[in-house]
Amino acid sequence: MNILIHDLSKEHFCSLFSDVYKDAYIVSDIGTIRHCIGCFGCWIKTPGTCVLKDGYENMGELLSKSEKVTIISRCFYGCYSPFVKNVLDRSIPWLLPFFKILNNETHHKRRYQNKMRFAVHFYGENITAEEKETAKKLVKANCTNFYVKNYEISFSNTLNELRGEVTAI
Amino acid sequence: MKICIINGSPKTAKSTSGLLIEYLTSFLKGNEVVTYNVCKTDLSQAQFSQIQSSEVLIFAFPLYVDSLNSGFLRFLVELENRGFSNKNSTVYCMINNGFYEGRQNHVAADIMRNWCKAVGLTYGQTLGIGAGEMLPFFKDIPLGVGPNKNIGIAFQELSHNILCLSQGEDLFTSPNWPRFLWKIASSYSFWYPKAKKNGLKRRRLKHTVK
Repeated sequence: MNILIHDLSKEHFCSLFSDVYKDAYIVSDIGTIRHCIGCFGCWIKTPGTCVLKDGYENMGELLSKSEKVTIISRCFYGCYSPFVKNVLDRSIPWLLPFFKILNNETHHKRRYQNKMRFAVHFYGENITAEEKETAKKLVKANCTNFYVKNYEISFSNTLNELRGEVTAI
Repeated sequence: MKICIINGSPKTAKSTSGLLIEYLTSFLKGNEVVTYNVCKTDLSQAQFSQIQSSEVLIFAFPLYVDSLNSGFLRFLVELENRGFSNKNSTVYCMINNGFYEGRQNHVAADIMRNWCKAVGLTYGQTLGIGAGEMLPFFKDIPLGVGPNKNIGIAFQELSHNILCLSQGEDLFTSPNWPRFLWKIASSYSFWYPKAKKNGLKRRRLKHTVK
């Protein structure tokens, strides 16, 4: 399964990407998402599933069935948009609470063994060079923590430019 | 000096960010210090004004998925939209993460620097602390002593820079506690007891949803 996580409005998504992503599982902003509250419930209460029942509680399970995860996000200060970051914060049930050492750094062990690829497409006017550098570091760190070896990143100034970057799932 | 501390932890219970704020405020006596938790409550116009007019702005928050938690990020976007007419504030950050190494906070520190640039404020310094969930276990040990030795030294430097409105290189540190013991303790003194309280057996923690 391929997943697309995006923060575009319904109108923009339909006009630009509905043909490209017709076979993908779409995670978009339906207005119900709640912030992760750091309760660790997804690790020590209902392992693998978030305790917040808002339609986004199964992100860990969804990721476990994914081969490719595409992220389309406005870039804020070198980070994702609040909605996309919200989805990623709610995705930690894919991991276990326990730690292992990788390249002399501690990271969480994985709950699932599926191999994922990430394609992260940032958009926004006037993304600075520093923000691009930070975003690259962020995606790299995310990929380390989600055991992703293959990933790609792009930056677009406009949605039309973004449409050109995103050619296929 | 007017100092505003923003707690960006979304935890409903006591947070490590709150503990770090307690540590820091003990170094800031004699100043006008106000603290807000922006993930738990909506701020009033007067409170936003207080943030926008403070001489020092300090953010304390946990690392979520290598960066800022979404609630705190949303707050920063709102703060940027409201703007700062007074660009004389200096910003400092205290970031704690669940991994052992404090240096894993470096991306979040860069994001905060970029935010500062976007809003036109001066960035002072970051203090990034690893093994954040362990810090409350050492809260009765004075800073600068035993497992709090490195953290105490880092707080001295950070607070000195805050009081002088100086900039400094980012500080990344961890408790003076061996990593292998921290790793063992995290399972046997933290995750397993918490799971047991919820009536779960150890192997259940590795449950996979089909």
